[in-house]
Amino acid sequence: MNSRAALFAQAIRGPILLITVGVLFAMHQAGVLAFYRSWPLILIVVGVMKLVERMYVPQVPPPPPPFGERPQ
Amino acid sequence: MRPRSGSITGPLVLILIGVVFLIRSISPEFRIADLVARYWPYGLILWGTVALIEVFIRFRSNGPIPRNGISGGGWAIVIFVALFGSSVFQFERPDNWFRQVGFQSGIEAFGEEHQYPVNTITRSVGLAPRIIIEDFRGDAKISGTNANTISVTGQKNIGAFDIHDADKANSQSPVEVLTDGNTITIRCHQDRLDTRTSVSTNLDVSVPKGASIEASAARGSIDVSSLTGDIQLNGGNIEDVRLDDIGGNVKVDARGTRSIHCSNVQGTIELHGRGADVDLETVAGQVTVAGDYTGTISLRALAKPVRLESMHTQLDARQVTGYIRLDRGSLDAKDLVGPVKLSTKATDVTLAGFTEGLDLDVDRGDIELRPEHSAMGRIVVHARSGNIELAVPAAAHFALNANTENGDIDNQFGDALKETADGRGAKLEGSIGNGPDVNLVTQHGSITVRKATAEDAAETKAAALNLDR
Repeated sequence: MNSRAALFAQAIRGPILLITVGVLFAMHQAGVLAFYRSWPLILIVVGVMKLVERMYVPQVPPPPPPFGERPQ
Repeated sequence: MRPRSGSITGPLVLILIGVVFLIRSISPEFRIADLVARYWPYGLILWGTVALIEVFIRFRSNGPIPRNGISGGGWAIVIFVALFGSSVFQFERPDNWFRQVGFQSGIEAFGEEHQYPVNTITRSVGLAPRIIIEDFRGDAKISGTNANTISVTGQKNIGAFDIHDADKANSQSPVEVLTDGNTITIRCHQDRLDTRTSVSTNLDVSVPKGASIEASAARGSIDVSSLTGDIQLNGGNIEDVRLDDIGGNVKVDARGTRSIHCSNVQGTIELHGRGADVDLETVAGQVTVAGDYTGTISLRALAKPVRLESMHTQLDARQVTGYIRLDRGSLDAKDLVGPVKLSTKATDVTLAGFTEGLDLDVDRGDIELRPEHSAMGRIVVHARSGNIELAVPAAAHFALNANTENGDIDNQFGDALKETADGRGAKLEGSIGNGPDVNLVTQHGSITVRKATAEDAAETKAAALNLDR
């Protein structure tokens, strides 16, 4: 289930980014907020989504210990 | 069998495009470019929402979840739409960049120009009213008359794709004349227009002679003549300013003027902002040109002190009986009443006929000085890199101290001046009679000190003639 949630978090990344870009451009055209001022929001959205993704992605298993110390 | 994981957005986009073109074929007035220009960001939002819902539904119904909500090809389409949409949007705006840099508008190129008259409005006013022309686009011609009425007439040029848009724009942009005591406001209402039309209002205004004008223009030109009041122009993009026979003070503060021409002004002139050409002629008051003017600055017959600060050049003089002409890379002046103070960067300087002293500092450029008057005053010239040539009038007395660190000295006064070699440079010192100090210093370049000839005078005359032409 966990990996499915991770897949979901990954899949919504594109659409959310697209909506953000659309909203920023719509605001630009309406004269509310120019795009050259608002573009850092895209970075913030990408960053937040990466964080959300991390919460769902299962922890990367630790690297296998070196030879010889393999537990019985 | 592997389940199809293709998105539903592809088919939806196809349906949408089909619908749009169907509407167009049914109703030809429907403009696709216009639609795209206005609504493409909402299209992106819609697409994102559909894709989001799709992912969500698949997640809930335990269907296969795509790796990415929007595929690589999808992003390519997004970028294409954004570029296309924003360029069409720019194109359709009334004050887009290419109109600002002087190209004709897309509407004027692809649409049609419609002309509408501005009905004449006449109001009786005092002898010295204050007239405010609010933010307008177009050309205004204002002239003073002996009557004590203000009359406004003119014509509107409306660029639009069809006559309905033009009619609508015409009714949305009435010219109004509002009177409030001694203040008259002319308003053109061009700011509340649709983006699909461009309206330029050409005004022909006649006012009582004593009127003062305050005008601001978003784009266009202003021509004022025969007034005794003050003129104040502010504006985003006033292109051409022409002021003739003005009794009061003139103040222009505008970005991006193509030309400013003032002649026969009794008051002071103050120019600020950015622009290209400046041409001031016959000014009785003080003149200040402080802005970045990239074209030719021409100053003639200025009776009071002048201060010029443009780009990298600063010049002060007490009076200009002849002319100053500053081009990119060269400054020519003739008949200045000093003390003259001039500093400039990469400019060749030619000064003829100046009196009462000169303080000149040139970073890079050749200097040619022809004082012409025997009372030439104290001269201090410093060049970092450039040749200095001084043509002294025959009767002048002076104490010379010339020095070049890298270069030769050409002395035509013979033994009266003593030349000494100094490393790679040279020095020339000495006095002719009992006169003011003349200090010439260049770090790289030659120095020539010679006697003025008849040809010098002829040359400056020719230059003056050339200027008038």
